[in-house]
Amino acid sequence: MPFDRRFILSVNWSLVALTAMLFGVGVLNLYSASGFRMGDELSMQPFYNRQLIWGLAGLGCMLAMVVFDYKYLAAIAWPLVISTSVLLVLVLVMGKTVGGAKRWLPIGGFAFQPSEVAKIALLLLAAKILSKRSERLGWLDLAGILAVSLPVALLIIVEPDLGTGLNVLLLVAGLILYRGLTGPVFKTLAIAGPILIPCGWFFLKPYQKGRILTLFDPQRDPLGAGYHIIQSQIAIGSGQMWGKGFLEGTQSQLRYLPEKHTDFAVAVFAEEWGFMGGIALLTLFCLFLLQFYVTAKNAKDRFGSYLAAGVFFYFFWQILINMGMVLGIMPVVGIPLPFISYGGSATIVNFTLVGIVVNVSMRRYLFKKG
Amino acid sequence: MRLETETPQQHAPRSGLILLQALVLGLFCLFTLRLWYLQVHKGGTFSDMARDNQLRQVLIGSARGRILDRSGTPLAVSEPSFALGLVREDCEDIDGTLTKVSEWTGVDKHVLSETVKRGKKRVKPFEPLILITDLPYEALARIEANAMLYPGLEIVVRQKRYYPTGALMSHVLGYVAEANEDELEKNPQLSLGDSVGKQGLELTHEDELRGSKGRKQVEVDAFGRQHNEFILEPPRAGADLKLSIDIGLQKECSRLLEGQAGALLVMEPDTGKILAMVSQPSFDNNMFVLGVPADKWRELRDNPRHPIQNRVTQGVYPPGSVFKLLMAAAGLSEGFVRPGDVVACPGVYKVGNRDFHDWKKGGHGALDLRGALVHSCDIYFYKLGDRMGIDRLHDYAVASGFGTRTGIDLPHEKAGLIPSKEWKKKRFGAAWSKGETVIASIGQGYVLTSPLQIGRYLSALVNGGRLMKPELVETEAPQVDATLPLKDGDRQVILDAMVATVESGTAKSLLRSDAVMAGKTGTAQVVKLINADIRRKTHEMPYEQRDHAWLASWGRKDGKTYVVVCLVEHGGHGGEVSGPLVRKVYEYLFGPAPGKPPRAAGAAPAAAPGEPAVDPGDVGD
Repeated sequence: MPFDRRFILSVNWSLVALTAMLFGVGVLNLYSASGFRMGDELSMQPFYNRQLIWGLAGLGCMLAMVVFDYKYLAAIAWPLVISTSVLLVLVLVMGKTVGGAKRWLPIGGFAFQPSEVAKIALLLLAAKILSKRSERLGWLDLAGILAVSLPVALLIIVEPDLGTGLNVLLLVAGLILYRGLTGPVFKTLAIAGPILIPCGWFFLKPYQKGRILTLFDPQRDPLGAGYHIIQSQIAIGSGQMWGKGFLEGTQSQLRYLPEKHTDFAVAVFAEEWGFMGGIALLTLFCLFLLQFYVTAKNAKDRFGSYLAAGVFFYFFWQILINMGMVLGIMPVVGIPLPFISYGGSATIVNFTLVGIVVNVSMRRYLFKKG
Repeated sequence: MRLETETPQQHAPRSGLILLQALVLGLFCLFTLRLWYLQVHKGGTFSDMARDNQLRQVLIGSARGRILDRSGTPLAVSEPSFALGLVREDCEDIDGTLTKVSEWTGVDKHVLSETVKRGKKRVKPFEPLILITDLPYEALARIEANAMLYPGLEIVVRQKRYYPTGALMSHVLGYVAEANEDELEKNPQLSLGDSVGKQGLELTHEDELRGSKGRKQVEVDAFGRQHNEFILEPPRAGADLKLSIDIGLQKECSRLLEGQAGALLVMEPDTGKILAMVSQPSFDNNMFVLGVPADKWRELRDNPRHPIQNRVTQGVYPPGSVFKLLMAAAGLSEGFVRPGDVVACPGVYKVGNRDFHDWKKGGHGALDLRGALVHSCDIYFYKLGDRMGIDRLHDYAVASGFGTRTGIDLPHEKAGLIPSKEWKKKRFGAAWSKGETVIASIGQGYVLTSPLQIGRYLSALVNGGRLMKPELVETEAPQVDATLPLKDGDRQVILDAMVATVESGTAKSLLRSDAVMAGKTGTAQVVKLINADIRRKTHEMPYEQRDHAWLASWGRKDGKTYVVVCLVEHGGHGGEVSGPLVRKVYEYLFGPAPGKPPRAAGAAPAAAPGEPAVDPGDVGD
């Protein structure tokens, strides 16, 4: 396929710029979160530079995602879901156990996390299936999409990786809502949902129940799950209006803040940059999300629109759950904040998904053959 | 080819697009509000919490002041003590390290492992867990030389109280020991593991000796590790405490009482300063400093001779005939008797249908006040007491400083007891009987005094009537608590009688030609004898039934006056037992007596030439 110069003009440059800005903020913040003070010395852990390398790799994946027409993604959706499901089963059988969870497959010197690929695969498949429906979804459609996505999500949840599993399910749910349900289905679910969700309580593990209870009363477990919430709120709150300044966050530098480079990275940011910084970051995220909305709105076909909407939900839930957790309004669930939390595979997946949406945006005026 | 004309919106469901917009808007509003709440509305609170998280005020210990005798000899000092600590986090091979430590110090490795096991819960892994407190010097040197090879081992320097004079000063100094929960609670200046005064002057002068701790601000991380620190307030070392005690005299007094249970007190009557305060048997207060082992403590506590009790301030005994000094004063001052009045002593005094005997069979015949004191006539004072009545006697005795605490700055002083009608009613619910007044008149029955009270009263008699606060601290200004209700002339009569008692009475063993010596002996009955006629020789009686031997004395030479009070529990006769002992005390104070001592050492004082023949088995003096 010859490269068309109009591709470059049609690229959603705002999305690219916002992605770059978010990643830049993330690396700077990790630089601060990597430091911890011992006396007058500020020691560095090598998180931010590793993140930079992951970012470069992600950039490669992003570029790779734009060189072909995204319609081929629909073609590989099924094979990708099936093969990652097999890998997920393999993980459970022979995976590497880290911190009590089997999430990694050792390949060569690397530890590969099939659940990351599964997210993309499921996103593609859900977009493909739903984009075939021109009408709002009925019971059958709903059953069909759940029959595909539930087993995959469950395979991830039993690893156990509740965060990622939940992310996948919510992403599919988001896409279903994006398509829209027929009146009776929507009404039934709207009534049944509030009844069924509390039933889910009984399926939770005791520590998961604890986390939810702790949310309402952090002092319930001040050295366990509550500690995270309390220390995170102290960090954020003590940032006040203007923040303590870059590298000056005492909560994080003195290691009061747990998991400050991963799930609680945004607390470091809020401590050092204050309310103004927090609003700025939040604005960046909202503008970032709006690019998926714009792309979904302007896509040349349904599949493209659903792809962009799917990526929207993928990021939306992560932002909502992570920030909600860090700000103390949602239970502690291990979900990273896109581009801000440290993490190799997550960074690569994030860039890849942005690449897919860039692909959709640049091909919106593509000529149809014949 | 044609440009796609289909509007893209057709591909995107309208409701879906609205949903996406709504979600972004909701996300923004939700988190903006939450950030506002946390950072602006509650920001101040969280800011304080963050500061509390990281900045801790830590107290800096101050050196405890020394305690010195009057010439500056140290009696209590603080010296560094070396403990061996193990920082588990830095130690790669705890087991191997413990093996080495056991090798160096001879402490059983099993014991060390137990210590580590127990300490694990209380001591953080990066803090030294104390394996051995108070390392001996050789072990210290051996560890210092090898510690480099065994990371994690740390010598922890602490201050340890040391009493160079040991048992000699235990009752006066008391001791320090680790502060308990209660003390920590009461005093915010104290931190866990601090030593505080528990007894004696260490307790009563705790605040001066301890000084005040400094404060520093320490930045602490989530693991409790300290980073930056700066001094907010430097510590102030405790002040030295200079005592009026003469350690040489103290040593001599202690030596003299050795093997006995008793008390010996030397005072300066003019100032109330105490030069020696000995209570025997004693204990070594050093053993309390690092925690006394349970078996040693039990041994001390259950010892029938009560080594922990300070007999000078806490021992209360019937004063026996020593009380006659006060009776004489009361009689003169209250107008019941004049010095020249002669009273007949037929050897027995009848109250109601009960006979009260004199210690001397057949009585003393006719005696004036001076004679009654010199010969310690019981009948004279029976009669005097009977006329005065117990309540008059009580009031006068209390006004003279008996039955109340002297206010000396030692803890747990006992007040003693001067009975009254009201007291008996309250205590026993019974009416006072006249016979009890008679018994009280010779310092028996319910009357209880401490050697310190006797010393203070005697000092007042000698110094012109000023009842001084007994004082152990040299730098403390003399303090007059009260004035004796006694005219100077009457006081002189009593003092003269005391001199005569040495010259020709029961305290003859004090006599020396180069000094004015005066005394009054007392032999206090411990057991109420069922029949006054049943009298046994002291050495025939079981120890705990033997009488207490008192000697209250003063001596003056070259313008210096001292009061010496001696009590030997179950010692028998005051003159016999306490006399030669007190004589030695004056020999220390005034130098050896010129000429031959009145008797050879070891001879019975009763056999001294010129002394009236006293049956040593008699109760009176």
